[in-house]
Amino acid sequence: MIIKKAMHEALNMALREEMIRDPRVVLLGEEIGPYNGVHYVTRGLFAEFGKDRVIDTPISEESFVGVGVGMAMMGQRPVVELMRMDFCLRAMDQIYNHMAKIRYMSGGRLSVPMVLRGPEGPGPNPGLTAQHGQQLTVLFAHCPGLRVVSPANQHDAKGMLKAAIRCDDPVVFLEPGPLNNKQGDVDDGDYLVPLDQAEIKHDGSDVTLIGYGASVSLCLQAARELERGGVSAEVVDMRSLRPLDMAPALASVAKTNRAVVVDYAWQSYGPAAEIVSRLMSDAFWDLESPVLRVAGKESPLPYAANLEELSKPNVEEVVAAAKQTLRN
Amino acid sequence: MSVVARKPGPPESAAGNAPHATATAARNFPLDTATLKHYLRQMVTLREFEHLGEREFKNGLIRGYYHSYAGQEAVGVGLVNALDLHRDYIVDHYRDHGHVLLSGVEPKLVYAELFGRRTGVSKGKGGSMHMYSPEHHFLGGDGIVGGGISIATGVGLALKQQKQDGICVCFFGDGALDTGTFHESMNLASLWQIPVVFICVNNMYSMGTSLERHSSLPRLVDRAQGYGVPTEQIDGQDVWATTAAAERIFRQVREQQRPYFIEALTYRYQGHGIHDKPLNYRSLEEETAWHARDPLKLLTDYLVQEKVLSHKQIEQLRTEVVASLEADVAEAKQAPEPDPEELLQDVTL
Ligand SMILES: Cc1ncc(C[n+]2csc(CCOP(=O)(O)OP(=O)(O)O)c2C)c(N)n1
Ligand SMILES: [Mg+2]
Repeated sequence: MIIKKAMHEALNMALREEMIRDPRVVLLGEEIGPYNGVHYVTRGLFAEFGKDRVIDTPISEESFVGVGVGMAMMGQRPVVELMRMDFCLRAMDQIYNHMAKIRYMSGGRLSVPMVLRGPEGPGPNPGLTAQHGQQLTVLFAHCPGLRVVSPANQHDAKGMLKAAIRCDDPVVFLEPGPLNNKQGDVDDGDYLVPLDQAEIKHDGSDVTLIGYGASVSLCLQAARELERGGVSAEVVDMRSLRPLDMAPALASVAKTNRAVVVDYAWQSYGPAAEIVSRLMSDAFWDLESPVLRVAGKESPLPYAANLEELSKPNVEEVVAAAKQTLRN
Repeated sequence: MSVVARKPGPPESAAGNAPHATATAARNFPLDTATLKHYLRQMVTLREFEHLGEREFKNGLIRGYYHSYAGQEAVGVGLVNALDLHRDYIVDHYRDHGHVLLSGVEPKLVYAELFGRRTGVSKGKGGSMHMYSPEHHFLGGDGIVGGGISIATGVGLALKQQKQDGICVCFFGDGALDTGTFHESMNLASLWQIPVVFICVNNMYSMGTSLERHSSLPRLVDRAQGYGVPTEQIDGQDVWATTAAAERIFRQVREQQRPYFIEALTYRYQGHGIHDKPLNYRSLEEETAWHARDPLKLLTDYLVQEKVLSHKQIEQLRTEVVASLEADVAEAKQAPEPDPEELLQDVTL
């Protein structure tokens, strides 16, 4: 049955269903227990599953991510929450040097079936400022050995988190902060959404808008706006940043011959840069116009309301970029 | 939902049997009436600053994070006043409104920062957690738990290399004891003999997690052992106790050029942040017990008892302070927002 749920509720359903299905699934993180999670994702799970399966951690990110790695090597299925993805920076050694590499360094004899999840980017609420609202996607996406995914709607959030928990590789599950409290359709049954498949979220024929996570919403809003002006935009949701599934975007560009990549991350060296590069090598002869990017401005996230708005990519910029590709 | 069953209040609390014992003894510390009256005004200012700030948050003028200092005033007043900010430095965590005000920054500039205005201490770019005022030797305002502890150690090392006789103090919460960087910095500071004072403001909670749910030992001074750094637990409710400890400890750190660790026992009255509802994880009984030893109350009781001030005069002082802060709020509200070009300025040179 299809029901309306906020993204955090969809994620909560995924955790709960997987915890019921598999007793090896254990949650770790700050304030995820009786406090019910700062972004509500673990709401009710401590009451239902108790303190051995929903483990509140002190502010010890490097170590509790490492604890997750150790548990995973022993066959548990830890799902480790970072209160905000920004705090991954404390745990980066465990993520890069251990979580990502143990399969390879052991010649494939060990695996780390864990999920590292949490909200990234400037949301749900404004005013998160420089150290709490960053979009650090590319740090993970850069690193072989990790799978890196980010859902763009409630349905995918649930299905992808369930798939991530069942995956035998370490999965970094990036929850789009701006969408955390947004409502949408979710299936209340047991279903999985593949971790390595991009998807067309809106059909169109004139220009291809490419995003992942929260930037897909900008693409969809821009597509509606463009349609009012007679321009038909196709929206591709990458869903996975590592591996990148370029097939839907390439097929779309073969049709539209134009593309704009939209990203909350800083533009330079960001995920959008990699997607543009793939389009250059694999869709060059289909393109009739340079591929453009709309991304976060190259500053730390400022506090003042006017500066914060300026710093984020917005629908008007996406519409303008799409129109610019159509000038050629 | 009550999470923890623990005895309320300071005397019996997990961490604190010290407070009552030290409170009376500390009265002997000579603080003259002029100083006490000044401290009272500062404490009232800090408390009322937060009341108005929270009101403006609810009015929508402040967004994102807001960590109130209410309840912890005697810690800041005792410790910051004992510094000489012509030569000493402060590195703070995100619960920074009280400390930045005590460093001498005008309330209207702090409000302007909270309102995201160009005139704010950080030009409206930092917000509540990121107050900076280098001219007051106030080096932030760090939002990452434990993030300032190694920075303070570096500030201390620089002071030593530059042969300045200043010291650096670093404020952080009980939660920061759980970070690796705290323990690494304690070792470095001791190994290199750095004049830095690590001040753990133990308000009994790390967000919604009470001390006994996040700390392996109930006394944080015990967790700071093992590095050769002297440690001391002090009563953070009592401004005589914080002042006495601060003057003695800062003198020693300055003379001996060695680090020190202070655990100040106190309590935050509001939620962790503005949306946090503390009664979800602590009892009214516990809150009431701490309020009975409210830092402002201890000071006003003494001043009234000693006939330094009457209740009426204290009320009048509060009215004056509020009126002055209201004027600051009004002025900050009128200040312009940053120019759009500011977005990309101050990123690098
Ligand atoms: C590395 C890191 N992890 C998590 C957080 C989120 N967080 C901010 S404050 C806080 C609680 C800290 O409590 P404490 O250190 O006791 O300071 P208090 O807020 O009580 O003053 C948490 C978990 C953070 N800011 N930084
Ligand atoms: Mg605390």
